[in-house]
Amino acid sequence: MHGETHAAAILFGLPALGVATTLFVGTYIVIMTDKVNRAIVALLGAGLLILVGVMTQSDALAAVDFNTLGLLLGMMLIVNITRRSGLFQYVAIWSAKKVKASPWGVMLMMSIVTAFFSAFLDNVTTVLLTVPVTLLMTEELKVKPYPYLFAQIFASNIGGTATLIGDPPNIMIGSATGLTFNDFAFHLTPIIAVIMVATMVPLYYVWGRHLVATEENRRHVMSFNESQSITDARLLKQSLAVIALVIVGFMLQRQIGIEPATIAIFGAAVLMLLDNLGRDSETQSKNVHAALSEAEWITLMFFLGLFVLVHGIQKAGLIDLMAQALLKATGGDFNVTTLAILWASAILSAFIDNIPFVATMIPLIKSMAPNLGGDAALLPLWWALSLGACLGGNGTLIGASANLVVAGLADRAGIAFRFVEFLKVAFPLMLLSILISHAYLYARYL
Amino acid sequence: MGSEAIYSTTFASLKDTDTVADATARMLTDRVSDLPVVDASGALVGLFRLDRLYAALLPRGALLDGGLTDLAFVSDTLGQLREKMREIEHCPVREFTAMPEHVVHPETPPLQIVLLLHQGANNIPVVSPDGGKLVGMASARDVLAALGKRASA
Repeated sequence: MHGETHAAAILFGLPALGVATTLFVGTYIVIMTDKVNRAIVALLGAGLLILVGVMTQSDALAAVDFNTLGLLLGMMLIVNITRRSGLFQYVAIWSAKKVKASPWGVMLMMSIVTAFFSAFLDNVTTVLLTVPVTLLMTEELKVKPYPYLFAQIFASNIGGTATLIGDPPNIMIGSATGLTFNDFAFHLTPIIAVIMVATMVPLYYVWGRHLVATEENRRHVMSFNESQSITDARLLKQSLAVIALVIVGFMLQRQIGIEPATIAIFGAAVLMLLDNLGRDSETQSKNVHAALSEAEWITLMFFLGLFVLVHGIQKAGLIDLMAQALLKATGGDFNVTTLAILWASAILSAFIDNIPFVATMIPLIKSMAPNLGGDAALLPLWWALSLGACLGGNGTLIGASANLVVAGLADRAGIAFRFVEFLKVAFPLMLLSILISHAYLYARYL
Repeated sequence: MGSEAIYSTTFASLKDTDTVADATARMLTDRVSDLPVVDASGALVGLFRLDRLYAALLPRGALLDGGLTDLAFVSDTLGQLREKMREIEHCPVREFTAMPEHVVHPETPPLQIVLLLHQGANNIPVVSPDGGKLVGMASARDVLAALGKRASA
């Protein structure tokens, strides 16, 4: 059965556009309410689109971007194996000692470490790795952990914007457009470095300059022996070698003609092989099972459902209608459209999940290509979408998964993260980052 | 068949107003790792467990799911741990008390208690069905003693 013939036979005789739009909007609303797990909602929505005849199963499978899923899965596996080595704790402690455990220095270094890791790892994974170390250090320094955790949220979302693999929206954009790791590094990393510095300055004036720790407490942190945090030196060497090769693979992606998903999955397979060489079959099974089960399957299934949902509205014609409406609103002006995408993405991403938003925006931007000078001319729009969607997540406590994860960890550690309290500092800081992005896009591309 | 034969009705317990110092002294004296805590009416409040005490000595980052699993790099000395202990030993035990996952009643069949112990429960409070008054404790030691008696009968 093929999609084109199937799409006409809509349940209850309703038009494809109306049914697809209703299902799409309904699914997004349920996702936003957070009452039902988002993977369940996305898969249900995708399933319903097939059941009511908007698309066939083969249409749905063709709509799934396995490059995005593969890249995400591969990186998740590499991180899950690497974390067992103690590498991330080592770097965090080493960096804190480099600033003599001064309270502001620790805040700055933990933010830099978080941003750096986030550029290469999933943001949620990064904060899960760094927040426990931050809590330990603030406890030893006897300083309030809230400013540190706040700064780490920002650093995580800012750092994640810097590379192709740092944040799911970038992975999706890269996969959909063919933009490479180097493209992201060349176009986004410099401005992200500027935004990171520009964010830390206000944080210093708001909190940093007030942080005080006694010499004795600083000595506690200085007495940490970071080399003891390396729990598996063999695995550490293997992980570093594989991560380096994977990054080189990403950098040479265009020359070697291999997609990022293949590089990441292959790297994960090599790391699993190295990790299990010489081990008995039972241990191998246990290790591989642990690595696979720790992958974020909810995120992966959420993506799978979203790709189908977005294809449903694309097939039904809603994306084209939305693109035409956006072009009408911006008068078809390239500069206005680019900056409108930046600001709209940022404001919306502060309140809604940026993954479904970007999943919708990608085909929408693509469909505007004929009116805006063709696919090649769209480059600034992709950077606007990336900067807006990724940085916008800093605006509120619900703006990004990493924010919620840090708030959840903090809550379990007895540290309150309140929506309004967070918003008061976070939203202006997020606007500052978008203002800088605006200036950057305007100066470099428009 | 009830479970009278398989649990102990003579057991050490704490009042919810007792301090951590009282609890640890009792644990050392009675050589137990869990102590039931009761309120003024004798109703079970929960168990004071050694793992809760250890948690109070650990950094918060180690207590989170997916948190620090290795603290070998932290060079806190026994003296520093003792200082932390001094800070908490005047706290009431209710701050360190949690209701156990399993509570049984006097009429709970012995096999159910054996199953719970097999599944990892250590000391299972036995409470009256009406009002939750603590009437006994079922531990592995109690079960072994009860089984031994039966075997020799």
